[in-house]
This record gives sequence, structure tokens and C-alpha cells, in this order.
Amino acid sequence: MSATISQSALRELAAGWIAQGKRVVGPRLIASPIGPVRDGRVFYAPLQSSDQLALEGFIHPANSMKEFLFPKHEELYGYRITGKGIELNEVEPLRAEQVLIAGRPCDAAALPILDHVFNWDYKDDLYNTQRQLTTVVTLACAAHDEACFCTSVGLAPDAERGSDAMLFDLGDGEYEVRCLTEKGKALFDGKLQASERVASLPSGPEKRFDAVEVRAFVKDNFDSPFWPAQTMACLGCGACAYTCPTCHCFDIVDEGNIERGVRARNWDSCQFSMFTLHASGHNPRPNQPARQRQRIDHKFRIYPEKFGEILCTGCGNCTRNCPEGIGVLSVLSAL
Amino acid sequence: MSENHVAPASGRQDEFEPKIVAFVCNWCTYLGADLAGTTRLEYPPNVRIVRLPCTGRIDFNLIVKAFEIGADSVLVSGCHPGDCHYTSGNYHARRRWILFRELLQALGFDMERIHFTWISAAEGHKWQEVVKEITEKTRQLGPYTSLYRGVASGAGVSPAVTRASRPRAETPTASAWGEESELALRETCRRLLAENKVKVVIGYGKRGPVFITKPEDVEKLVWNDECLANLTVYLKRKEIRALGRPAIVVKGCDERALVVLEKESQLERKDIHVIGMACQGLGEPKCETCEVHLPRFADEVIGQTDKQAPESADRWKALESLMALPAAQRMSYWATEFERCVKCYACRQVCPMCYCERCLVDKNRPTVIEPSATDKGNFAWHILRAFHLAGRCIGCDECTRACPAGIDLRLLNLSLAKAAEEHFAYRAGMDPKAEPLIGAYSLQDKENFIR
Repeated sequence: MSATISQSALRELAAGWIAQGKRVVGPRLIASPIGPVRDGRVFYAPLQSSDQLALEGFIHPANSMKEFLFPKHEELYGYRITGKGIELNEVEPLRAEQVLIAGRPCDAAALPILDHVFNWDYKDDLYNTQRQLTTVVTLACAAHDEACFCTSVGLAPDAERGSDAMLFDLGDGEYEVRCLTEKGKALFDGKLQASERVASLPSGPEKRFDAVEVRAFVKDNFDSPFWPAQTMACLGCGACAYTCPTCHCFDIVDEGNIERGVRARNWDSCQFSMFTLHASGHNPRPNQPARQRQRIDHKFRIYPEKFGEILCTGCGNCTRNCPEGIGVLSVLSAL
Repeated sequence: MSENHVAPASGRQDEFEPKIVAFVCNWCTYLGADLAGTTRLEYPPNVRIVRLPCTGRIDFNLIVKAFEIGADSVLVSGCHPGDCHYTSGNYHARRRWILFRELLQALGFDMERIHFTWISAAEGHKWQEVVKEITEKTRQLGPYTSLYRGVASGAGVSPAVTRASRPRAETPTASAWGEESELALRETCRRLLAENKVKVVIGYGKRGPVFITKPEDVEKLVWNDECLANLTVYLKRKEIRALGRPAIVVKGCDERALVVLEKESQLERKDIHVIGMACQGLGEPKCETCEVHLPRFADEVIGQTDKQAPESADRWKALESLMALPAAQRMSYWATEFERCVKCYACRQVCPMCYCERCLVDKNRPTVIEPSATDKGNFAWHILRAFHLAGRCIGCDECTRACPAGIDLRLLNLSLAKAAEEHFAYRAGMDPKAEPLIGAYSLQDKENFIR
């Protein structure tokens, strides 16, 4: 026995959430009045209407879901300099009940991984509040491309981690729905039909590397010629980190004038030379191979040592978005 | 920080009083304004004067910044041609404004709010007239509320349709036209390395750029329709320079970068060995209008091509569909596009022309460009990036290819390339003898917007 929902009913349901004032975020084809963007790319974006929801025809959106819990720019508080002192004022956080719909299981799996770092020595209210207000409905992957490697980091096209409910495409416009948490149940309560049909589990990408071996390698090969050999072509943009569902570094900036301003946090990336530049001018990570090594090191050794989990879900966005074809997968499959 | 920092000029709060920022030069227009005052000429108090040494020193960012902090109109004014205190500052400024206006137009700025004048120290009356006129005009236009917003039209949104994105093949195969060239390329590189003519070959490998230092490794080189990257970007990188004298594989389009870099003293042509690849086009939008299928200045050219240059008018086709939109819609187009910008700076990093040791956007004392990925920060960044490439961008479209947010950045580059060609018959990287467009000036530069 299973529970199913038709695509039209799913869209109707999503339209209902939008009408209730929830923020509904899902994969959306981006087009513009002057033609499609780069062969019609799909991005996770807030949906104004449920027919914008793209459910098939792409492997992975070009961005990740993290930006709807950990935005690329977030104001922390405002300040005003008055005659003698400084007046601080709270910024009302833009928090809303939201449903992330038809996300990829690899994006959903990133959320419990991120929970560690946002609740470690400091409990990040901004992140936690939005996390609590968020329900994650994923769509199991029916296809994968050469960049996908979820199976190499212990996940799968139907990995349930981080999902409140999961959809499985049964073909002919029907989806099997598996509610995994109370939140997921509440979302679909009374909307599902009993059915005999059960989705056959999609096959994932072949396993490409062994994460335990990677961890051992990065531990012992800090100065290995492997890094320059594999990453010399890296140009030092942050496209990999900014489209990664698990990368979470940020920078704090003050923006304003001599009278008033805001303190905000913005995404930052270990691939920038400025990331580690000391005030003295010394840079402990002087070149891109060192910065690429850091990225792998953090994901496969540092984070697991601290929190017991790999900081990578194998979504492949780093490889897809790298202008020079570098990414976690291409570096590690060379091991 | 969305509120306006410029307080209302006068009058009641509910009545719209235009806020006008005037960037003027110290020697002519400022004195002209001063003369207007001392001769007791009356003019509206809506204008705030910002005095700079010379119009040649007026950074284009200031105009944008003025709008950001709440100006409804901006005036830029300096010495008449031939009258510059520093001989030629205003000529430099004139050339820059001619180009910058085209960029602002492509971005959908309201051009009726941007004014340029020449006002001398003796023209107190002209100052009075100009300020009166601009104030009146701005009053009619109303407050500049569409900045970075445009008109709400749901632009950028389309119903979901299924269409796969261009897949990157795991192992691209040399297409029929490339196979012979690929073998010739490997042979050439083997020879260059074996004879110690070069220390490293910067070329294309199976998955991205490779740096070959040993003759036996040349088998890693490929030549196929996945060879999109403009490898000249690597010439600026310290790690690559440290490897020694390079040979670099370029297509005709990439080669234009070498012309500009040499003109800007970023490289000595004799220090690099250029291997030009005859190209049949790689299926990118830029290939449809490419005119240099055959590299012109390479040390050796490999392969043949029968591709012809298309009609010149076709080159602006993409831009024309943008310019066909009304200005406010152009702005909403960019606002929607920039909303996806994450400030990863991939556009900057892949650009062969972006070679500054420290980019202006990375400077924070003071902050010139807000680092935040907000509407302000994003517009400021993309204006800066595009305009710093004015007369320099060779149209390799690497910025557009690299953008993970899929923003069609080439449209901004095209707007400036078109302006350079139409106003100055200048094309970056085409003629090795041509003086750099920005940095030079001519007494004959023509415009029709400065009064």
C-alpha cells in the first residue's frame, strides 16, 4: 500500500500554500523577456504560482536550497551614531513559514549537516528560526548526470535524510508520497489517495571514491604535488562554494555612512585570496591549489572530525558550475 | 539601508522637492556657480554641489552612488573643450561619458535624469539657467523610484517548461574537424617542450585546462568542441608564470586578449609562444558572429577553417532585443537577473582583462562597492565590472559562460563594444596598432548630449 498524489493535485496543494502566505520554494525555469537564460537553466526560487514549479527535465538546479535558510545577505542589526553614542536597533528578521518543494534529496541532506555548525558554540537564532519554519518535500532523483556522486558520500537518489516528505515519480503524472515526519504528514494530511502502486527505487550514480580513504589521504598529504597537479586550473572564483548546499562560510560587513548603517553577514568562500589574507600581507594559503586543498580538507576531514559527518552531499554542483571543470568529484576521482 | 540619506531640500514634506547632485570641476563650473551667487542670480536651492579637481577625475561610480543615496537627478559639469585647467581632463571625461551613457542606457537608467554640461567660470547665467531647467524637469519627472526596480511586470518568470540544460560531456571526443588538428597540436607541443623552447604548454585537457611541462604528457592535450575556455586568463597567474616560458593554445577570439594585454603592458609578446587553432565555431552564441576563426598573430596556426565572418549587423542582435524594451523594463530585467547574483566573482576571475592585483570591490577602506549581494551591491558591481572593460572587452563571453547564476553579462559588454565601434570606430584586440580607447582622447570626439 502506498499514498499517491497527482501532479495537478500537487500543484493545487502548492497553490494553496502560496495562498496561505507561505513562501513556497522550488525548482523554477528561469527565462527572461529577451530569451531563455543559458539554455533554460533551472534554479531554486520562490514560486509566485504553482505552475512555475519545474518537476522534470533537469538534473539539479544551478543553485542550492541553503540560501532559503542561510541567505547570501542577511542584516544582523542596524546602528545609528548619535552625538555621543551609538544606538543599536534590531532588524526584524525576514522569517516566514516556508515549504521547500521538489528539492533534491542531496540538498535536503545538507540541512541536518548544517545544523551542527549553526548550533555548535553559538546557537544561530536566524538560521534555527527559519529551519523550524521550514518543511522540506523532496523529489527522489529519477536520473543523474556525470557530476552526481551522492552514493560516494553515503547518500542515494532516495536518501531520506533532511526530508519531511518525499515524492517519487510514478510516471503518467502520479507521485507516490512518503511522509517521513510529523511536519510532512501535516502538509499532506487528507490530500493523498491510497494506491497499490509503489515506486521502484531509482538507481544512483556509480560509487566514484571512498570517503574514508579521502580522509586518510588529505590528512597525510598536506604538501602533496597532487594538489597543484589537480587544481592548477582553478581561477579562484567562489562558484563552487556558493552553489554548494553545505558550504556555509560567511563574512561580517558594516554598510552605511557616518551616521547610520547596518551590520550584515554575507557569504564568503575559502577560494578567495582575501579569505585568509592577514593584515600583515602574509597569506597562509598563497595560491589556488592550497585553497582547493582546504576545501576538500574541510569537507572530508575537518568537519567529520568535529561533527562526525562529511560536509558534502554529492550533488555535483561544484563540478557543474566550475568554469574550468574542477570540482570535488573531478579532484577526488583523480586520487 | 533603503532610505534616502539626502534630506529634502526645502518646502513641506509632502511636496516633492527634487534632489539634484552636481559633480562639478573646481576651475570652471564651480567658479561659474560662485559667480552666479556673487552676481545675485536666483536659482532653485535643489542642487547640491560636489566639487572635484577636474571632470577627468569624476569617477563614474559617483553618478550611480548619487542615485543610490536618493538623488533624483545628477548633473556633471566642467570646463568647455579647450578650456581645461589641466589641458585635457575634460577630453578624457568626454570620451568616458560617451561610453558610460550607453552602458547606463543598456541597464535601463532614466537618462532624462542625467545631465552633462560645460559651464565656464564666466557663465554664471548658464549655471542659473541649467539648474532652473533641471530642477523643473526633475519636478515633472517626480522622484526616482524605479531605480534598481524598474516596473513590476513579472519579468524573468515563465511557466515551467521542460528543457534540459547543455550537458557537459564526461569525455568529449574530437569532432571530425578537430582530430587532425589535435594530433598536430600534440606534435607541435612535444617539439616545443623537447627542444626546450617553452617550459609549459597551457592547453585544453579532457576536463578543463591543463599545464603540460613534459614532452611525454602532450597526449593529455585535446582539441574539440568543448574547448571553450579562454586560456589567456592563465598568463596573469603567478603559479603559472612560475613554471617558466609558456606556449599558449588560443582560438581566434581568445587571441584578441593577447593584443589588448600587450598594449596594456601586461605581457611581452616575445615572452610567450602562441599556438593558434583554426576554429569552426564551438556552438556558443559568440561563435555565430565570430570574425576571427583563424588566429592572426600566432607563432604557428594549426588546422584550417572555411568559416566566414558574418554580416556585421548581426553582432548586435542579442543586444537589440534588450534595447527594444522600454528603459524601465530594461531595468527590471537587470534587477531580476542580478537578484540571482551571489557575488562569487566568477565573471571577474575568468576574465583575461581583469588582472588587477586587488579589485576595487575588495577594497574596504573606504568601501567603494558594497560587497553585499543586494540590489545596490549587485548593480554597483556589474556596472563597475562592465565599465572597467569599456574598450577592452574582446567579447570572449567567458564571464557569461562562467556565471553560475546564468546572468547574460555579455549584453553589458556588447553595449559598450557597440558604443566603442559606433562612436570611435574602435574594436578591442582587433588592431595591434590602435591606441587603447580609454586613456586616449581626440579633440574630434563627437557627442550630442553635453550642452
